[in-house]
Amino acid sequence: MIEFRAAEVRSDDDQRMLLQPLTLTLSERRVSIIGANGSGKSTLLRLINGLRTPSAGSVAVFGRDTRTDARAVRQSVGFVFTDPLSQLVMPTGREDVELSLRARKLPTAERLRRGEEVLGRFGIQHLADRSIYDLSGGERQVLALAVVLAVEPRVLVADEPTTLLDLRNDALVRALIAGLDQQVVFTTHNLDFALESERTLVIDDGRIVFDGPPPDAVARYRALAGRSADAPGLDRTNGP
Amino acid sequence: MRGYGSTLGLYQHGQGFLYRTPLSLKAVASLACAVAVVTWRSPSTTAITLTVTLCALLIGAHLSPLRILRMLAPAAPMLAILALYQGLAQGWLRAFTVVGGITACLLAARAVTLTTPMQSLLDGVVRLVRPFRVVGADPERFALALSIMLRSIPYLAGLFMDVREAARARGLERNARVAVTPLVIGAVAYAHRTGEALAARGLGEHDGDRDRGMDPHDPGA
Repeated sequence: MIEFRAAEVRSDDDQRMLLQPLTLTLSERRVSIIGANGSGKSTLLRLINGLRTPSAGSVAVFGRDTRTDARAVRQSVGFVFTDPLSQLVMPTGREDVELSLRARKLPTAERLRRGEEVLGRFGIQHLADRSIYDLSGGERQVLALAVVLAVEPRVLVADEPTTLLDLRNDALVRALIAGLDQQVVFTTHNLDFALESERTLVIDDGRIVFDGPPPDAVARYRALAGRSADAPGLDRTNGP
Repeated sequence: MRGYGSTLGLYQHGQGFLYRTPLSLKAVASLACAVAVVTWRSPSTTAITLTVTLCALLIGAHLSPLRILRMLAPAAPMLAILALYQGLAQGWLRAFTVVGGITACLLAARAVTLTTPMQSLLDGVVRLVRPFRVVGADPERFALALSIMLRSIPYLAGLFMDVREAARARGLERNARVAVTPLVIGAVAYAHRTGEALAARGLGEHDGDRDRGMDPHDPGA
């Protein structure tokens, strides 16, 4: 359960509104967010696990405020970045999974056992001791998912998790996400992926312009994109 | 970005008795090598420590001589300058003593990091730092900071090579500003990304912070 209460985000210099005041509750198991580059999708996602705090208003995950209980919220909300290399901080996958488990303060033997279990669940034991730089994009993204899910968060937030992937790996990551027990909130440019969710938000220029069933949301987004294509030049001025 | 883990980096999966030797024993042996080189500064001490470390890597970690040479490549320019200076100023025997001793220490330290998984290394650091808890030190944070530092060395080396190649491709390899500026920006961006990744995963928090956290399995949390 994720609640936005009049949450808004301004740029650091306070000159631009990156996200207009937003009030909504996300309780569906799969929520997708679509919109143009720079429309505010990533900013919205970062609000959920406290990587970014609202300039005004508040965001709560299972009743915990992301500003006052940021660390507690992060333990319950896993975050998957677009580029897995931004996420993986250890030289090999096994070490990165174990790094995640260190936060749980488990005894070494238990940590190793759970690490193996996680690698096995995602079918990546054979990649565990290879350098993360030697893995393909798809393998890295699966590893990034494993690393985040190793600590069994209640919510998974994924920022364009399939953007850098080829079709085969795109399908693989989507299937993995579909099979998760956790609530998943993700941004994507892949409209087929968005259609797999239960609820879709369309965001444009920092404002939610549609919130509802994915097919209707995709149609709305296509209409928006068509209008933007007719206008000359770039239509965005704010960053993520 | 290419990976430089195999050249400068840390643990390499492999076979040999060094992989089965406890970390504490390897750390003590590595320290003993450094103490011997510094305490008894003689060609014979250098020869013995160099022989022992080379044998440890060749037999204990099943490394090839070529691989060992490649491990030393990043330090080679500095060692060569030092050897030349010592050789011309104080004689070639002295140069062998000093440079050979440093090389033995480098190889001994590398033998530890090469044959010990990062998480075991961190466990060792946590055990080592634990007594300092009484003065407010957090062993887990200390170990995490150390691991990130070690992890950053090969990354930055790779970044340097990428920047140099990009400059060469544009015919700007002699322009120091072109080489240094992207390196600094890249390093800062890397630090920012790493910090964000750690924050997103809730790593590096104080114990007290963690204790206040909600149980992710508690449905009422």
